[in-house]
Amino acid sequence: MLENSRKEIALSVRGIKKSFGGVEVLHGIDLDATSGRVLALLGENGAGKSTLVKIISGDYEPDSGEISVANQTFSKLTPITAGNLGIRMIYQEINDAGTLSVAENIFLGRLISKKGFVQWRQMRREAQRILNDLEVDIDPNALMSSLRVGERQVIEIARALSDKAAILVLDEPTAALSGDEVDTLFEFIDRLRDKGTAMIYITHRLDELRRVADDVVVLRDGNLALSSSDARNIDRSILIEAMVGSKIDEFGRPKMNLIPANAEPLIELRDAASAGSFEDANLVILPGEVVALYGKVGSGISEVAEAAFGVQKITAGELFINGGPPARSPRNAIGLGVGLLPADRKREGAFLGLSSGMNLVAPFWSGVLGGTFWANGKKERTSFEKWRTALRIRVSESGADKAISFLSGGNQQKVLLARWLNAGSKVLVLLEPTRGVDVGARQEIYAVIRQLADEGVGILISTSDYEEVVQVADRAVVMSAGKITSNLDYHEVSVVALTDASGG
Amino acid sequence: MNTMDEGTVPAVRDEVSVASTLGLSRPPRRQLPETLALVMVLGALILLFTLTSPVFFTTNNMLNMLTSIAVIGIMAVPGTILLVAGQVDLSVASAAAMCGMVTATLAQSMALGSAVAIGLAVGLLVGVINGFFVTVVGVNSLIVTLGGLATFFGIGQLIGDGQTVLIRDFGYIGTARPFLNIPMPVIIFGITLIAGFIVLKYTVYGRQVYAIGANPVAARLVGIPSRRVIFVAFILSGLAASVAGLILVSQLGAASPNNARGYELLVVTAIVLGGASLNGGRGTIIGTFLGLMIIQVLSTGLTLLNVQSFWQSIATGILLIIAVSFDRLRERLSPS
Repeated sequence: MLENSRKEIALSVRGIKKSFGGVEVLHGIDLDATSGRVLALLGENGAGKSTLVKIISGDYEPDSGEISVANQTFSKLTPITAGNLGIRMIYQEINDAGTLSVAENIFLGRLISKKGFVQWRQMRREAQRILNDLEVDIDPNALMSSLRVGERQVIEIARALSDKAAILVLDEPTAALSGDEVDTLFEFIDRLRDKGTAMIYITHRLDELRRVADDVVVLRDGNLALSSSDARNIDRSILIEAMVGSKIDEFGRPKMNLIPANAEPLIELRDAASAGSFEDANLVILPGEVVALYGKVGSGISEVAEAAFGVQKITAGELFINGGPPARSPRNAIGLGVGLLPADRKREGAFLGLSSGMNLVAPFWSGVLGGTFWANGKKERTSFEKWRTALRIRVSESGADKAISFLSGGNQQKVLLARWLNAGSKVLVLLEPTRGVDVGARQEIYAVIRQLADEGVGILISTSDYEEVVQVADRAVVMSAGKITSNLDYHEVSVVALTDASGG
Repeated sequence: MNTMDEGTVPAVRDEVSVASTLGLSRPPRRQLPETLALVMVLGALILLFTLTSPVFFTTNNMLNMLTSIAVIGIMAVPGTILLVAGQVDLSVASAAAMCGMVTATLAQSMALGSAVAIGLAVGLLVGVINGFFVTVVGVNSLIVTLGGLATFFGIGQLIGDGQTVLIRDFGYIGTARPFLNIPMPVIIFGITLIAGFIVLKYTVYGRQVYAIGANPVAARLVGIPSRRVIFVAFILSGLAASVAGLILVSQLGAASPNNARGYELLVVTAIVLGGASLNGGRGTIIGTFLGLMIIQVLSTGLTLLNVQSFWQSIATGILLIIAVSFDRLRERLSPS
């Protein structure tokens, strides 16, 4: 009882609803964050976690419901009022100034100054005091870029705390951290808990829950699926079911492809490792099968996939392409008949200013697919026409000549996929092939992938979307923290199995 | 974030794709040629000066203007290729002067043909050096060629001990009019322009250049040998610089380390005026030609109007900033 009176509710949310463009994404959420306790906020992508948190930080205005902080009730917050109430956000991506000192970073945007001159000595002293308070052993004079990622995250939090944070929201803070850096962060969170800070900890890693959380709330499709004040002892399967719900049976599995017994592997990894990314990876892709490499961001799935395309270097073990030596570079890989659909369409995939036709034939500019001196504008158009029909790329008549930036995300992705079909690739490595693609186009892309497999192409899909795995893959290889944790065959692939094997 | 995407974006996308299937939505960008604004500015300037000066719109003056712009123009053609690939060569003018000095100095002691050949070879070497540092060592092209600018200028001075070197019987490529009374520099400029136009628009090499400039990461992932492509562009730039340098020597009958001084900025000005982006991926030879013409028409026109030459520089500078500002504005207003 005594303990309860000390640990009062710092933030309380009641009946929050929010719609975007007529679609309600939060259907009335209640949530309490208590001083000196960590509330874990769980949910799959699209469950509404980010929207809810943005309402708490004042970025979004709720349609209805109320937020109470420190005995004051609001129908909405603004970033400024949220800031004044002591609500602080820590995002996944670290936004620090690497070339400045730790002290400067802690006081970034509000350097201690007198008449326009920075008071260096006072600022360093203050920074040291804050760091001592938090029991962090980091030199305030050190350059930010000399710190490890976990330490930078801690400084980021120290910055948020240095101006009296009462409620700290951490958005998947461990996404970019390595094992012992995670420990550093968790110890730090423990100290904050002892100091009475209320924390909301967003994650989709179930194993972190036991270590760090006191209370837990699970969101699913904008509803409260589960709420408990005994996060450490709650059964794992209950949490998974709360997260995925009826989705378990929602997706149809593709028809099973029969692979001839004498099929030669297109890609084969034997105890392969790439320093700092993955280790002990064993993986075989045969012609005619779709293998999903499933895991969370940072689990090593994209690095394994990129190794097959010569982007990521293998530092130990072996990698074979078509039974021979691996690709040393993307150029080399293309010559070996491998095609790569990168994860970030805008940054790595599309030439946004160039026409769709040019984007489609771009691999032929590498010279390794039989190069010519003259560019063939007519071929660019006819190739595009061919794949436009085959993949149902939606674009007006002059489509081939128009910059690809005019196409929707899904149609751009189809062009980038067609790139490799047009190049006749026998092995396809697809990274997050339907990220940012609308539902309809997604199904069409899956259909194309299945059809290619039927035609004997071997396909490796690296994805962090379990729905994708269930809908398109023959089998799945699950990774967590750089290691393969599970191999699921055709019959074993399910949402629950995937969620469980990837650590939640 | 995610929830919002799922909630709103598909609906909007559907609208766009339906509308564009029906031909309803007309994207504003690229439908009108980007060069239209340049053509209009050039046309307006020509009209203005034709009305204000009786000698402006004459064959003679037109040929004079083309001759004046030829040296810069020859360097601007590979310069455009480089800028489209996201690179810049600021050493061209110094390299041109240095090649001129080499040829003029050697011509005093050996056959003219050999001296010219060595001058051109020096240009090639300049390209190799720039290309090496940019593509193999990996230094930013602005830095490499800024260093080249100073170095080659210094070498040019060193060769002639800072003095002008006279050259005999070398008037042909600078002053001859072998065909239809067209001066040799204009013919060389024309050939360079046409070659550059064909390379950028109709060859795989041109496609590679645009791809590298538009998205270097994607270019690597479709297997484009980016370093080789950029290396070649620097060699072309070095060669063009030596040709330009020799034309200048031929026109003046003498080589000076100060020949072509400051031309590198005129080259970049013309290319950017012509619509190329400093970030790469955009730019055309036609645009560069229009950019060159605008600079020259402005300069000649103002001279004919007896405007002090200082004003020409001011006008060119202001024009450049206005043109690029318009471009930014246009880009911001059109969907990406």
